[in-house]
Amino acid sequence: MNFCIYTSEQEENICTRKKAKTWHRAGLISEEQLRLMETEIEPYVNQTNLFFRLIFFLFTLLCATAVTAFLIWLMKEPSDTAAMSILILFSIPFYVLAEYVIKKYHFYRYGIEEALAIISIVSLCVGCGILLDKYHLDHQLEAIAISLLFAVISFWIYLRFGFLYSALISITALCVIPFQLSLPPTEERAFLLFILCLILLINILIDKSDNEDFRKERNILIQACLLAAIYLAVNLRLLELARLYFDHLSMILQPYAGFPPYIYWSSYILTFLIPALGIYWGIKGRKRLIMNVGLVLACLTLATNKSYLSWTRYAWDPAFMGIILIIISIIISRWLSRGPNKTRYGFTTENLLKPENYGINLADIGTALTPAFVDSQQPPTQTEKFFDAGKSGGGGASRDF
Amino acid sequence: MNIPDLLQKMYQDKRLSREQLNSLLDIHWKRLFSVHHELRFFLYAGILLIIAGLGFTIKQYFAQLGDIAIISTLTLCACTAFIYCFIKGNNYSKEEVTSPNLLFDYILFFGCTVYSMDIAYIETQFHVLGDLWNNYLLVSAALFLFLAYRFDNRPVLSLGLSTLAAWFGFTLSGHRFSFQEYYRLYAITYSIIVFLGGGFIYLLSMKKHFFDIYLNFAVNFLFIALISGVIDYKLFSLYFLGLLVACIILVLYSLHTRKFLYMLYGIIYGYIGISIGFFDLIRHETSLVFLYFIFTSLAVIIMIFLLSRKFKEDE
Repeated sequence: MNFCIYTSEQEENICTRKKAKTWHRAGLISEEQLRLMETEIEPYVNQTNLFFRLIFFLFTLLCATAVTAFLIWLMKEPSDTAAMSILILFSIPFYVLAEYVIKKYHFYRYGIEEALAIISIVSLCVGCGILLDKYHLDHQLEAIAISLLFAVISFWIYLRFGFLYSALISITALCVIPFQLSLPPTEERAFLLFILCLILLINILIDKSDNEDFRKERNILIQACLLAAIYLAVNLRLLELARLYFDHLSMILQPYAGFPPYIYWSSYILTFLIPALGIYWGIKGRKRLIMNVGLVLACLTLATNKSYLSWTRYAWDPAFMGIILIIISIIISRWLSRGPNKTRYGFTTENLLKPENYGINLADIGTALTPAFVDSQQPPTQTEKFFDAGKSGGGGASRDF
Repeated sequence: MNIPDLLQKMYQDKRLSREQLNSLLDIHWKRLFSVHHELRFFLYAGILLIIAGLGFTIKQYFAQLGDIAIISTLTLCACTAFIYCFIKGNNYSKEEVTSPNLLFDYILFFGCTVYSMDIAYIETQFHVLGDLWNNYLLVSAALFLFLAYRFDNRPVLSLGLSTLAAWFGFTLSGHRFSFQEYYRLYAITYSIIVFLGGGFIYLLSMKKHFFDIYLNFAVNFLFIALISGVIDYKLFSLYFLGLLVACIILVLYSLHTRKFLYMLYGIIYGYIGISIGFFDLIRHETSLVFLYFIFTSLAVIIMIFLLSRKFKEDE
């Protein structure tokens, strides 16, 4: 059953057009060939570029929020019931408006309809939250009800409009539920894992090989996010990782992270199995996103390995890992480049498809922040060093004292 | 219509050659699968991790390692990286030059960062230039800009421009984001210098593809400085006027070049600045505040909608 406001053909044509543009950017087809392709696969929708979409999204959100807030303000200190009614009532016109602009103006990922759909979800859920609060329900019950409502409505928005982030919001809302049940940490994580695995399983089952390309791509993204979420739920040492390097390298870790030993060691094994599964699944099925998630998760496993085994951590550990990454990358690159036609098993290091150029990319921004890092990692000056760690004869008093 | 059907149809209509059909089908069916971007990502991440590890190690073990060991290691690493780049690098060209290998760009970036660490360590420990230590930053920025042009390296250009910003006094480290309280005029001067410098080099047709990086730095510094000026001096100030003029120029540039990132900057920064300016006048009238946001956001939506339609028609 297809609930989507767009037809499958429209979405498939949009997906094909996007690929044709990538081929054109990479010089695989000419400008004329691109035009011909575009006329063959007219999706009959209005699309806009990423930046206009962002502007539309932000300002529609601002406008809708201001309208709602203005009406509540006009009521001069309204009661909870009045505020609740306005919020719930407003969610309907916002949703209807989202459908209307799509049908009238044939918008597809235009920003306006997206903001209207999102504001309708938030408005309805906040309104229902106030409603539940009014009946003095148990706080946990209230949180579960709101999370469920959020999950159901977001999922409907995903089915109806196809916004991927809406599906991810829905999954996140479901993941909040285990934390509202006052369960012990082990059961909490087990319940969370059960939810995530169940969604992943359902998604894999509906992801048939004869599906349209756009559907396959959506499913791959959802599966990759779920794989990452499962890993985050499994890895018990991940939260400590950032604190270790940015806060206190010699921080003493809680034994078994506060979990029973059998859970702890099972999670340790899973931190290796999940990335391995992701990489294997990605390579075998040529699913780029899943392969990349698997690789990133493998790096996280290496980063948390010492914490799991309670080994001593050193300041040079990141450098060691960096060297390993570079060596592996070079070995793979050389191995692929030396294959026939610079290809092995269909994999190549050649840059086949160029991503869209927005003038500046994340790598440029990352390097721009390097001077700040260099500055922050400077040791104390000579004068400070003299008084460091009790050298001044302060009876062994450290500088921190 | 799906991709194989479309490609077959184009081929049958003789709009697509046999080679094109085969290569596009290979890519579509993933019989040919590029891992170029993945390898680049992991090389970049690897270099960043090495730099982070070096930084942490020096900070924690500087007393045990000793100044000579630290300085000689850092100098050796930086020199090796630079020598490698000069030996392996392609000849200079005004146009875009591809790197000789995947690792090349990151080795240059590594060399530049290690050089920065080295200089920063020497100055922190020995105060060679004393109060004039800031000039190291200027020299480093000049070196990075030279290397960026010599080897056609965007990240190093970005590093050079941020080092130049540091020479002007802007830092993100420490416990504060010290933009608003000081050097507003320095920020404006910095952005003008970066813009004029980038523009001049662009006019000389040297590495034209670098201009966007100059413009991104200039625009962000300029707008943040102008907005901070509007916060302090409100509506009737040169900052507000400057903000309006800068927004209009940027939006026109964006329309002319069809680079809509600048439209986003112009609209967002402009809206924030104008709202701050007007908010001071209408803040006592709550209804006006709401109406202001309703009507101005609607105005922006309609304006951009008309613009997007116009572009669609032009296409």
